[in-house]
Amino acid sequence: MASSSVLSVSNLTKFYGNFKALDSVSFSVDKGWVYGYLGPNGAGKTTTIRTMLGLLKPNQGKVQIADANPSTDPIHALRFVGYAPELPTLQTFFTGEQLLDFMGKMFGLSMQNRKEKTKQLLDLVGLASWGNKKIGTYSKGMVQRLSVALALINDPLVLIMDEPTIGMDPEATAQFRNLFTNLSKEGKTIFISSHLLDEVQRICTHVGMISKGKIVFSGPIEQVLDTFTRQWVIEAELQNITEDIVSSLKNLDFVEDVKVEGNKLMIELKEKKDFRGEVSSEIFKQKGVLLSLNLQKITLEDAYLRALKGGQ
Amino acid sequence: MGALGRVAVIIGYEWRRAIAKKKILALIILAVTFQALVMIALSQVGTGVLSPYGFGMSSLIWIIGVLEGQGLFVQLIAIIAAGGSMSEEYEHGTADILLSKPITRLEYLFGKFLGGFFLLAMVEALTTVVGIILSLLLFGAQNGLEFAPLMFLAIVYSSLVFFSLSFMCSEVFRGSTLAMLIALGVFIASIVINGILIYLPSMSDLIKVIPTWAASSFPSLVMSKLVTGFGTADTNALVQASIIIVVYAIIFVLIAAYRLVNSDVSKKTG
Repeated sequence: MASSSVLSVSNLTKFYGNFKALDSVSFSVDKGWVYGYLGPNGAGKTTTIRTMLGLLKPNQGKVQIADANPSTDPIHALRFVGYAPELPTLQTFFTGEQLLDFMGKMFGLSMQNRKEKTKQLLDLVGLASWGNKKIGTYSKGMVQRLSVALALINDPLVLIMDEPTIGMDPEATAQFRNLFTNLSKEGKTIFISSHLLDEVQRICTHVGMISKGKIVFSGPIEQVLDTFTRQWVIEAELQNITEDIVSSLKNLDFVEDVKVEGNKLMIELKEKKDFRGEVSSEIFKQKGVLLSLNLQKITLEDAYLRALKGGQ
Repeated sequence: MGALGRVAVIIGYEWRRAIAKKKILALIILAVTFQALVMIALSQVGTGVLSPYGFGMSSLIWIIGVLEGQGLFVQLIAIIAAGGSMSEEYEHGTADILLSKPITRLEYLFGKFLGGFFLLAMVEALTTVVGIILSLLLFGAQNGLEFAPLMFLAIVYSSLVFFSLSFMCSEVFRGSTLAMLIALGVFIASIVINGILIYLPSMSDLIKVIPTWAASSFPSLVMSKLVTGFGTADTNALVQASIIIVVYAIIFVLIAAYRLVNSDVSKKTG
């Protein structure tokens, strides 16, 4: 394990009966990283998180959080961890304030500290006016907000969040995205499982991808884009597309393939280089009238889909 | 914060959780109402009807007032309070929230157990006080009231059997209804078997291993020994009952602890 690694999972295997939910899952997360954990439904994301927190007993492998194993030493391992579960169900007989206070007690915070943190966190998640109301009266989005507040009560070094923005409206989602970015800037390590690839691409520094219980990629976000995208694509919009233009473009050394989509040409490149100059010259040579020419940005979604395809 | 502090936090949590449950409050009200009705009925018909049982004297009627609720309602409250203690956290999905905090599973289990049991003890304190007050109001001055605290402790101790059984079922089956039904089934079956075996002298030793024997006999034996001096205040039976209660409680709690420590925390099932 690297010395700066605050969260490390090695060779984690988990069976549910005969079903192998996790298959030798390994990755590590260093201090200050925002690690996005991606995978389709049933891939093993929540199982990984619940095993990391010691809620599930792994059949093999181990988890280290801050140099302690949460299964055998939860007192030390979970002391600096904040956890917001997927679609949380909180104790409805508490008010928001009471639950934050109770969770503060579980972390051994003083009464004064709990009082201050409760007020501060309710403000932070936009529930200040709801703090004294029973959680049973909260909407799903409000429960989700409170769940994030609960995860922050102990000022955690590691924040583990399972689909934290599910159920939130777009405004709250954007607000929480900023919150996570700010927390990361404060040096907190964030492990976030999400289906929202756009969200992950915006806030994560690293990603892990899991498919059918196996890790198919773990590393910096730039690396995943590089690893799982074979070629870049130039999108050329023309007034008229002729056979001559298409065939001449296909004959270029750096072109892998050319596809026609309406009045657009999708030119797939063999190399990850910007060949827009060469492409426009060739089109002009063939008397084509170019309306626009764009080098398509590679999205995490493209990389993700390719990674999953490779992992199956 | 040390282990005791963490257990204390869970005890406080368990109190709040149990008090928030309306069915427990309903049972407490029912128990007190039943207690009041029996005492009022006795005051009307006269205590002479209890003479064959050694309670003909109005000055000892507080014992009836204290013990009457113990037999049925306190055991029912114990079963219901403990039956949801562990399982409701799984059913509601709140076990994930609690057990992902810096607390060991054993601390959590003992906090839950002690929290529920202390709450039950408070209910028993209430029924004891109500029994005494009703006796004083309806039958005048009472004798032997100095033993009331010991009677209360005997009742609390005897309720360990069904509280622990229901608590164990709650953790083992992780479903409140199933846990309560099983514990209630054992309770009713024990009463029936106890009722049959009592007429079979050759089975007099077997009867003692039936959970209801120790649970129901212990307070009566303590009462016989301390207060009335009536009947055969059998010291051996008293010791046997106290040992059987603690053995049952230890076995049930150990099974629950084994299950919790060695298995996954179930996801929301409710």
